[in-house]
Amino acid sequence: MAVTAAPTAAAGTSAEPPATRVGRPAGRRRSVAARREALAGYAFILPWVAGFLIFTVVSMSWSAVLSFTNYDLSTNTAEPVGFENYRLLAEDPKVLMSLGNTFFYALLAVPLEIAVALALASLLNGVRRGAGFFRTVFYLPKMTPTVATASIFLLLLNGNTGAINSFLSWFGIQGPQWLVDPPWVKPSIVIMSLWGVAGSMVILLAALQNVPRELYEAASVDGASKLRQFFSITVPMISSTLFFLVIVNTIAALQVFDQAYLLFFRDNNGNNPDAALFFGVYLYQAAFQQFNFGLAAAMAWLLFVIILVITGIQLKLGDRLVYYEGSRQ
Amino acid sequence: MVGIRTVGAALAVATALVASGCGGASAGGQSGAPGASASGALSKDVGGALKTSGFNPSDEVGKSRADYAAGKLGGVKVTMDTANFDPQKFAAQAAAGQAPDLIQVDRHVVATFAAKGLIVPLDQCYALWGVTPDQQYYPSAIKDVSYNGGVYGVPQFFQASALLGNKRVMQKAGVTAADLDTSKPDGVLAAAKKMYAESGGNPSVLGFDPDVPGSANIWFTVFGGHLYNDDGSPDLANAKNLDALNWLKALMDAQGGYAKVKSFKDTMDVFGDGNQYVKDQVGVQTWAQWYPNVLAGTASKVSLEAIPIKDLTGKNVAMAEGTAFAIPKAAKNPSAACAWAITVTSTHAWLAAGQARAQTVEKNKSIATGLMTGSPVADQAIRDKYVAKTDNADFAQVIDTYYSVLADNRPWGSSPVAQQATQELTNAVTVAMTGEKSTQQALADAQAAAQRAWDQVKK
Repeated sequence: MAVTAAPTAAAGTSAEPPATRVGRPAGRRRSVAARREALAGYAFILPWVAGFLIFTVVSMSWSAVLSFTNYDLSTNTAEPVGFENYRLLAEDPKVLMSLGNTFFYALLAVPLEIAVALALASLLNGVRRGAGFFRTVFYLPKMTPTVATASIFLLLLNGNTGAINSFLSWFGIQGPQWLVDPPWVKPSIVIMSLWGVAGSMVILLAALQNVPRELYEAASVDGASKLRQFFSITVPMISSTLFFLVIVNTIAALQVFDQAYLLFFRDNNGNNPDAALFFGVYLYQAAFQQFNFGLAAAMAWLLFVIILVITGIQLKLGDRLVYYEGSRQ
Repeated sequence: MVGIRTVGAALAVATALVASGCGGASAGGQSGAPGASASGALSKDVGGALKTSGFNPSDEVGKSRADYAAGKLGGVKVTMDTANFDPQKFAAQAAAGQAPDLIQVDRHVVATFAAKGLIVPLDQCYALWGVTPDQQYYPSAIKDVSYNGGVYGVPQFFQASALLGNKRVMQKAGVTAADLDTSKPDGVLAAAKKMYAESGGNPSVLGFDPDVPGSANIWFTVFGGHLYNDDGSPDLANAKNLDALNWLKALMDAQGGYAKVKSFKDTMDVFGDGNQYVKDQVGVQTWAQWYPNVLAGTASKVSLEAIPIKDLTGKNVAMAEGTAFAIPKAAKNPSAACAWAITVTSTHAWLAAGQARAQTVEKNKSIATGLMTGSPVADQAIRDKYVAKTDNADFAQVIDTYYSVLADNRPWGSSPVAQQATQELTNAVTVAMTGEKSTQQALADAQAAAQRAWDQVKK
């Protein structure tokens, strides 16, 4: 190796330290290998990048263009209208109402979903025998199609004879008319969304299993109660996972569509109260009932910007509250 | 990543536009113009490929009609998308220049599609095949698929609603058919109270079910109201509609309240052996003509009497929603589409369906309750040939009643904002019934929202 370094040293003009000079051929080999590795990496991610560019970036860009036009599906033409679609959104009271419904749902659903998922994950984390079986069973609801779930919840949430109200009646509580009384419509959709909490539960279970046991042992020796251990060890140690779930679930909640549409807007023969008119549903109606694609695209972008802002705020706040293992925070 | 789902449904169309390479690179530019073909002259000399969407020949009625059309239009190769019509899919297909040649849609969306220029008027199609729409089809059904003076759809099925009484419950409460004369709403309210029973604070027998919000329009018509003005503009908050809504609310309040009634109805085994008429859970319900066919399966366990719905002047009211065939502007084979739609709704096609239904009835040892086709000519022909008088006196009376009211058919209403108006109305009925808003406020708010939609359409 030293021989190969000689010509460089002989030049005598280099200010580089010898160590660097003697390492260069090895570095060159490493650099070639690294380049090959990088190329292989790019090749592997190319399909995803291509898909992202074609089906997301290009589509979103076109959607942005559409939002400034009056797109006519019958002639396939788009007449520029400036900010007219955004002006219509500002004037439409249903936009504000549907956004209000959506925020209300998100504020209720996200904390509840995470709390329930954490409770279930904690239960599963404590199971030693038959853990795989219980994990599978707890995950099964997530596999149920939303349509089937909606049908089940139509029965469970029945105000007269539903299982939920029957359960409440054991404690002397007369349950509400969940799916009919407008004030109870959103809470009923939140309850239905809890059915699919298993996705968050699995992520939290993985996080719980990564918390070092010795922390709990040390805390026990110091006399910390289980509750104290939970709040002083578990929550900080899984805070990055909780933060991730808050962000992802908030984004999903702000786009809520399936449950509300299936329960209330499939047809015009049942209930379709304004209380269940979420922004995603209203967007769908603008696009595919009224065929106002320019307006619908403007709505989509409005929601996108709202989600972007909320996520930005969450990230800013999260930096202060979340513990990242391996970082100084 | 956030944006992938965020922009949601609108992206489906955007993607279709991008993928198809059309839509105009510059806003305002005329592109591939996929719709030009349907605008040309139609011909009776048909052939080639025909793509339909929404029509499903899964039962004997659909299959026999499709088979009849296939026999008559031998040169046409029909490919059917048998799933229910999906406007999202249709929009993507239209944007990509791949719209089907013929679509089957609910009649109440026809005017919306027409106003958006997505379907073509069929006056030339009718004329070509020598069909007078108001004679071959119920005039009300034709009105429901008309917009701006043109007929945009070929209607099928007109299954009018009537009251379907449970004689056991009626007799027990001392209620007769005469007490259920809807031209005297107060009498109906009193009869409903007599038949209603509850257990543990919840309804156990529903006295009178007006089927709201789905059938609210029928009751508006009974009270002399309507959903739309002649030009299609919404008129939800008129005084007659308000009278009807006040009566409906009184009716619900007398039976435990709308919420409890709705929840009670949700528990009924409507299509099963233990249906609400078998279990005596209802006195009277509002049902379209297809429901007696369901009840025929439990004929020995039910005791029925049908009563026509009458308006305040005492005239029968026969109203029905239904579907229609329409030809998209972008159809590539509109001549075949026209020929197929006319053929499959012809009297001969319906007679083939009547025969097939009769065979099914015979095989199942059931009761032929009739087939309400949307065509008065076909209805009469099927009744004469295939609807044998049943020995079951109750069903015979029910069948007679449903047929008898058809002469008094009334339009449901046609408007380019029908979907929004119907949705606003449904919401208004719900919030009024639950007491969240007064009936007047609920209708006023619904009218304001529907009017906004109308103003946008008319821009």
